Amino acid sequence: MSETEPFVGIDLGTTNSVVATVIDGVPRVIANRIGQVLTPSVVAVSKNGKRLVGNIAKRQAITNAENTVFAAKRLIGRRWGSKEIEDARRVLPYQLVPGPEGHDVRVVLGGRTFAIPEVSAMVLAELKADAEAFFGRRVAKAVITVPAYFNDGQRQATKDAGRIAGFEVLRIINEPTSAALAYGFGKQMEKKVVVFDLGGGTFDISVLDIGKSVYDVVAVGGDTYLGGEDFDRRIMDWLTFSFAKENQGIDLRQDTMALQRLRDAAEKAKIELSSVQSAAIHLPFLAAAGEGKAALHLAKQLGREKLEELSKDLVDRCVHVTERTLRDAGIRPAQVGEVLLVGGMTRVPRIQQAVKQFFGREPSRGVHPEEVVALGAAIQAHALLYPQKDREVLLLDVTPQNLGIMVVGGYFATIIPKNTTVPTSQTHVFTTVQDQQTSVRIAVLQGGSDKAIENELLGEFILDGIRAAKRGEVEIEVAFDISADGIVAVAARDVDTGQRQSITVTATSGLTENELRRILDENLDELLERKQSGELERVRERAQAMIEEIEGLVPQVREALTRSHYGKDALQKAEGVVSRARAAIASQDLQQMAAAEEQLDRTVQLFKGLAGGASIPGGEA
Amino acid sequence: MPVDRFQGFAFQAADLSEDVDLDPEQRKEILFAQAHLGDFTHWQVLGIPWNAPADKAREAYREKVKVFHPDRYPGRRLGSYRARLEQIFRRLTEARDTLSSEASRAVYARQTAPPEEFARAEAQRLDDEARARERRARLARTNPLVARVGRVHEMVERGKRQMAEGHFTQALNDLSTALAIDPTLPEVKALAQEARKRANAERAKDCWDKAHSAEAVNNLELAQDMAAEAAAGDPSNPRYPVFAARLALRRGARDEARAHAEAAVRAAPAHGPAHEVLGEVLAEQGDRAGAKRELERALELDPGLEGARERLKRLRWSFLG
Repeated sequence: MSETEPFVGIDLGTTNSVVATVIDGVPRVIANRIGQVLTPSVVAVSKNGKRLVGNIAKRQAITNAENTVFAAKRLIGRRWGSKEIEDARRVLPYQLVPGPEGHDVRVVLGGRTFAIPEVSAMVLAELKADAEAFFGRRVAKAVITVPAYFNDGQRQATKDAGRIAGFEVLRIINEPTSAALAYGFGKQMEKKVVVFDLGGGTFDISVLDIGKSVYDVVAVGGDTYLGGEDFDRRIMDWLTFSFAKENQGIDLRQDTMALQRLRDAAEKAKIELSSVQSAAIHLPFLAAAGEGKAALHLAKQLGREKLEELSKDLVDRCVHVTERTLRDAGIRPAQVGEVLLVGGMTRVPRIQQAVKQFFGREPSRGVHPEEVVALGAAIQAHALLYPQKDREVLLLDVTPQNLGIMVVGGYFATIIPKNTTVPTSQTHVFTTVQDQQTSVRIAVLQGGSDKAIENELLGEFILDGIRAAKRGEVEIEVAFDISADGIVAVAARDVDTGQRQSITVTATSGLTENELRRILDENLDELLERKQSGELERVRERAQAMIEEIEGLVPQVREALTRSHYGKDALQKAEGVVSRARAAIASQDLQQMAAAEEQLDRTVQLFKGLAGGASIPGGEA
Repeated sequence: MPVDRFQGFAFQAADLSEDVDLDPEQRKEILFAQAHLGDFTHWQVLGIPWNAPADKAREAYREKVKVFHPDRYPGRRLGSYRARLEQIFRRLTEARDTLSSEASRAVYARQTAPPEEFARAEAQRLDDEARARERRARLARTNPLVARVGRVHEMVERGKRQMAEGHFTQALNDLSTALAIDPTLPEVKALAQEARKRANAERAKDCWDKAHSAEAVNNLELAQDMAAEAAAGDPSNPRYPVFAARLALRRGARDEARAHAEAAVRAAPAHGPAHEVLGEVLAEQGDRAGAKRELERALELDPGLEGARERLKRLRWSFLG
């Protein structure tokens, strides 16, 4: 291990995140600095302006709901004005605003706006710090996982978050694929594996064909808006509704603190119901009843059956997506050799039952549902950095959605169909439709609908500098490329002249390159500052110690000087040095302090000499 | 492993000496594979025999991608070899996608079959067909129900064949027999109707020819009968009743002539000669006004009818006189 640079795999989850690595060929998770494997994906700014991440942020969420961001993953890479963002704005206690370009989403935190990748980067930076504490050295290389169903914008934004956190992101991989990798690691197998991943915010399903250490993804499907939090919300709705009924229509949703307590209680009850039949929910002093009346308490009993009734349609949606994905893969449930359950939500008995019923077999219990994704990411990071002949691993993932362009009539023309193995590329020839036309606008979209408007707009590209000619005479070949990360790149060239065309991105859902650079620069400043302040601290301490030493020696020196014929000005000089050093310490300027330190050092040596001389009667002095 | 697995391929010195982190064997492997992307079939690209099963294609793909996936060379400088690897990888994936699905694999196998394989497959197909025919025949011999169905099928087939050859009467025979066995065949019913029509037209034509022959030997009565039969066989053709009417008129059988002439006008109200002959009959019968009306109508429809013009002139004169 020591000869290699440390690396990590990170499962950046909606509710919790996990970091892992591979040591001596064995994948293992890295616990955070308070000894827990799961770090809540929560970021907050406290009342006194401090930035908090993880457990500490989650703990203060109740009292500081407006400045606590959770579930940022649901927002990452989404466009302002999209349905998902509109829905989120209705239920989230923190405030969302559009970015400067009006395309992306910003969150208001402690009076400042942050881009969503910046928020995710704070979580990643926390995990990075945990890993660095574990290794005792800098960690830069990472593989980060995303739901398989994430589109280009969401992947790009996640990669940006990694860069902002100071990582060199080796690869963005899909969570279910990652889980399969961890499951198959070190085993010889030849079978079809289905990964059923129901996490806090997203549902993902992948079908893999595993053989000879090649993990070949056949089909993926999912729903980026279906997860544990939806189950929690059902419980919350049930609680608020029955509370209102029992208490003359008091609407708890108006009170952000009550809402946060309800959210926590709902999640806790849901988790409890995985092991017991009924869970008690007690929330004392939940709401004020009005002038002079005692505060209202909430006390409810939630049975497993009630939860199943509340969440029936959510489970049905999971099964429906599973069905469709298997059809895409062209296999029947009976042909599946193994079903892996991933994500905390798969602990719910009703989910396990639904999976068992659909596949007609017991799902595998061999993997830890919360750690497996991070472990797989670590394995992939290892494979990408240090390929070995004996433990080779090769991941072949697919693109989760159709990639295409908008054509005349507002329709969507697929260029790279979903479930195509990546990396892949495809070219498409465009032609001018007007005489002397010098630019072409191309809208690149991702999604499953025939209508362009129903798909996710990845970006609009303007090809300009096209040579002027009659319409239809200029042919421009546009190459669409999907990398192994699932990230899309577009390049264009004139078919006849071979000349490359410039492409300008006019609208994306993420950060612009300039913004990203600015954020990276800012973070760099912060890092530099922090590093300097450590150095400053040490210099300050040393200087302070020397000043004390000098002051301590003054009486002895004064005494020695009375017996000497020279060096009468030594005390005055020393006084000057000390006061300059004090000023340097106050200025916090490292350069000034370094200069002062040098002078202090000389003075100390001189005083020691003088004082020493004084202590030996009849000495040289 | 054969000594020269690159089959005498001429490598470019520039490619082999490019400054990248790959050993000479790896370079050769990549260059050779890339050079053959154009002329190799999917089978050859994956290194499996023609028509190998889908499992084999998937297996071969896994082995090949371990060599040609760019991820297998992390942290190395690949220069132009990165693009080459990606190109090969895409082609391998395309080959796998085509050959691992049973339907597309079968189509591709037919397209890429070597000549001798193609001939063999064709022979096999013909052989299979012959065997199927024989099986059907054996079944027909042993099972009465199947036999009946077989017989109907046979007769319908023969009927169709005869129709195609123009033997409408025989076709009608077979189709009628088939319908008698199994009256529930709508397609055969329509076919039989068509055959009947065509057979009648054929017979009418036959009678028509006979009528002319009889007229030639001055057997007017037989000629008239034949013409009448032709008219009955093919009511859509007014020439038959017109001819029958003329023959009757020549024989002096005015009533019969009138019946034929009226039938002709009914069958084809816009046929000049039909009105002409009716006019003549009416004139013979003394209905001058009727005759005049019919003859004028005939000329109106067909001004080239000189006989009608003459007759009309005579009628007018005698009327005036």
